[in-house]
Amino acid sequence: MALCDACHGAGGVSQTVGTPSIAGQPKLFLENQLVLFREGLRVSPPMQAAVNGLTDKEIVRLADHYAAQPARPVAAGPADTGQVEQGIAYARKQHCGSCHLPDYRGRQQIPRLAGQREDYLVESMLAYRDNRRTGGDTIMAAALYGASDADIRALAHYLARLR
Amino acid sequence: MRRAFVHSILAAAAAGLCGAASAQDKPAPPPAWHQGKPPAMSDSKLAPLPGKMTETARSEIPVEKVNLPPGFSVQIWAHGLPGGRAMARGDQGKIYVGTRIIGRVYEITDNGDRRSVRVVVDKLTQPAGVAFANGSLYVMAINRVLRYDGIESNPNVQPVDLTDKFQLPPEQHHNWKYIRFGPDKKLYVPFGAPCNICEPPPQYAQIRRYNPDGSGMEVIARGVRNSVGFDFHPKTGELWFTDHGRDWMGDDGPQDELNRLSKTGQNFGFPYCHAQGVADADFKKADACKDVTKPVALMGPHAAAMGVLFYTGSMFPAQYKDTLFVARKGSWNRTKPFGFDVVNIRVGADGKNPKITPFMTGFINAKEGKYDFWGRPAYLLQMPDGALLVSDEQTGTIFRVSYSTKN
Repeated sequence: MALCDACHGAGGVSQTVGTPSIAGQPKLFLENQLVLFREGLRVSPPMQAAVNGLTDKEIVRLADHYAAQPARPVAAGPADTGQVEQGIAYARKQHCGSCHLPDYRGRQQIPRLAGQREDYLVESMLAYRDNRRTGGDTIMAAALYGASDADIRALAHYLARLR
Repeated sequence: MRRAFVHSILAAAAAGLCGAASAQDKPAPPPAWHQGKPPAMSDSKLAPLPGKMTETARSEIPVEKVNLPPGFSVQIWAHGLPGGRAMARGDQGKIYVGTRIIGRVYEITDNGDRRSVRVVVDKLTQPAGVAFANGSLYVMAINRVLRYDGIESNPNVQPVDLTDKFQLPPEQHHNWKYIRFGPDKKLYVPFGAPCNICEPPPQYAQIRRYNPDGSGMEVIARGVRNSVGFDFHPKTGELWFTDHGRDWMGDDGPQDELNRLSKTGQNFGFPYCHAQGVADADFKKADACKDVTKPVALMGPHAAAMGVLFYTGSMFPAQYKDTLFVARKGSWNRTKPFGFDVVNIRVGADGKNPKITPFMTGFINAKEGKYDFWGRPAYLLQMPDGALLVSDEQTGTIFRVSYSTKN
């Protein structure tokens, strides 16, 4: 866990640009991502190196630990009203809250978005939209087809500031 | 080598999807699982149920909760196969098991009192399809077809890549496979509609058959939304297949189907006509159900009817001979759960007078009407002694169901 905290921050709240917070993520979501990294189905060289050789039991233990840590948004600057409104409108249009739940805390296999790092949210959504993250399932890859860069930035701005 | 392999798969998958999405001038379609969701349901929080990708310990598989008719019993036959679903049996008795997201194919070796499990191949894009013929294992992922010759004797055999021969279309959704050799020695392969509801491109919503080398492709059924289970009637040799009904038309339907292909080229109605003649809510046309082959039986709303097996063994009582077993993995797109069981169906070879009876239950605490489940039965395999193997995709377990008058 010290190894995880080194990049993902103390207690899984990331202070590192491009590295997500993992505190308070649903346990199953964390398990799934760790398995996908280990199996090479989700590509991230630092994560591949970190999880290489982990057993399922170790993965479950790590997931248990970080799922139980309190999620905290990291400082991301003051909210911009226009950006927040655009983000809310786009989330409503795309029904993001149907699966991620209306307060964006996530559930089971579906990640928490509330309070995630803004830079990470932007990069993840761009990767989905541009089919750079088809990974394990066919679902999110299609959720952002046609999203503009501006919509994605606004959505990330809004979600990153939720508690 | 291994890394290059991964990248080639991901690049291939990405290339396929980019091709589909590159028509930037057209508005983007809604995500496949979301298509057809009416405004009245826009706040619905129903979402596909999560699978599990880590091993489930034997002590966490509550086999004692499984219910069967008198005289039948169940045991955990193999476990520790996360995501394990369709099964194929080799000539020498090894069992091969496909998966979806975790990307593996497992091999189970039966050592008498216990079974050992190894991973034959991993890092594939949803290698759900497994079949065995003439000493060779066939593996079909969404975007690859591999053949392992003589694998039962030579565990390290390198696969022959048949991908180019099969001409798999690029869309991924609903294009994980169930595959099976027919009595005609041809390989039967479904191509699901890449959506919940849509007018599918011409390569989809159909079942095809091929020669084992991928040549001689023939479309044998159309209007099939998403079939992931079939078998051949033991007397007539006809193809009987399940098909999943569309989502977001309400809790009660349209129901999943059990279909019988009595003539090559039959149309089973998608996207205009569902179940026993339910016109689609979004894709309408006059006489929507004209010339549509109706199902033999309705398998329940959103039930996820999967594996189909005609029982031809002699272990079970005579009344089960030539009847069907169907595994229903269970619903997600309805308020209360439905399925999560294996049913038995007595039906004539002509498809008349189907009678559906619960057979294997207890995977869900159904009384509460909540999604309080622990297992999701997916596929069935008959063993030479007449016992029935049932895979549970949720816990990665293979159960063995047997019958004895002593039970």
